[in-house]
Amino acid sequence: MKILFFTGKGGVGKSTLAAAAAWQLSRKRRVLIVSLDPAHNLGDIFGVAIKGRRRRFTPSLHLDEVDLRKMARAYLERETQTLSDTYKYLATLNLDSYFSVLKYSPGIEEYALLTSIERTIREEAGFDYVIFDTPPTGLTLRFLALPQVTITWIDRLTAIRRQILEKRYTIQKIRRPLKEGETAREVLLSYREDDDDIMARLKALHDNYRRLTAVLQGGDCGVVLVFNPDLLSRRESERLIEGLNDLRLPLRLLIQNKVTAANREIAVAVGDSLQAAAGGAVPLQYVALDPGIAANNGSLYEIPEDLEANLGF
Amino acid sequence: MALTCLEVQELENIFALLLLGSFVGLPAPPTFLSVELLPFMERELRVLHQRAEDAHDMLAEMMGSLGVD
Repeated sequence: MKILFFTGKGGVGKSTLAAAAAWQLSRKRRVLIVSLDPAHNLGDIFGVAIKGRRRRFTPSLHLDEVDLRKMARAYLERETQTLSDTYKYLATLNLDSYFSVLKYSPGIEEYALLTSIERTIREEAGFDYVIFDTPPTGLTLRFLALPQVTITWIDRLTAIRRQILEKRYTIQKIRRPLKEGETAREVLLSYREDDDDIMARLKALHDNYRRLTAVLQGGDCGVVLVFNPDLLSRRESERLIEGLNDLRLPLRLLIQNKVTAANREIAVAVGDSLQAAAGGAVPLQYVALDPGIAANNGSLYEIPEDLEANLGF
Repeated sequence: MALTCLEVQELENIFALLLLGSFVGLPAPPTFLSVELLPFMERELRVLHQRAEDAHDMLAEMMGSLGVD
């Protein structure tokens, strides 16, 4: 299974091109296209209503839109459940209202995004291609960086936790063993790594993010960068290329959209400079401005450019 | 022995502070990490609270750790 992320500045046409690529690929392969953008328009592009449910557009092309708010809520509900399972006696208190405020806290949305990507990758093994249409650059870079940032944090926390457990073990050793029938005066704390709930959870999280990072950096995953022949789009794309480099995520294809005869000259300059920034080995493709699609009476099924050719990697 | 106990408590305090820092205004790890581990943090929260409560009486704290009654 190959995983593609279509990224770029807002308005450059990444949703449209992701849809066009998905359509072209689906003629020979099974393709799932997932929109992660909070302002969904996958449904508009294909002219169907998706409404938060998976939809079979053709036998080989499935459409999906991820509702971030709903995912964040579901995640917090799950957490609240764990919490009240751990502290049964607190179940009478209204914990939900306390947690509802976390919905607005930074980070939860990216986390929901990441979770949905992870789940899609894990569960949808039946598809040859999974294409993600991502939100604008900032959020995209942040959630793509999330697994690695999180691993750093988890490593630090694990180190401290390990120290705590070692110290507890020492204390346990110094204290004399209990006599027959004697009960301990204090609560016994877990000191073995397998017994400690926090350690177990940290470990599980760590494994999870390691796996995800490996998939994202692996050979079957790739980022497609869409941009326009203009200065702003060029600058933002340069930053994105830099960000992807830092995260060691593979850039597979550059697509320059909305090229016309009039802006051809700028297009070539922007394209060449971005290709150089990307290291030179990444293919670059030009897509002509189609006034028909812009006015919503053209058809994305008939765009002349062959997007498929460069997505085989 | 008492010192080791104190050290553990201090470590637990740091652990809780690092993990739940966003609740007291520290730049903290990704929020979801806090939420993820919160269900198991009862003891750490208690230590954190105790430390905050004792913080104004440094002398007593010192005497306590030196074992002076």
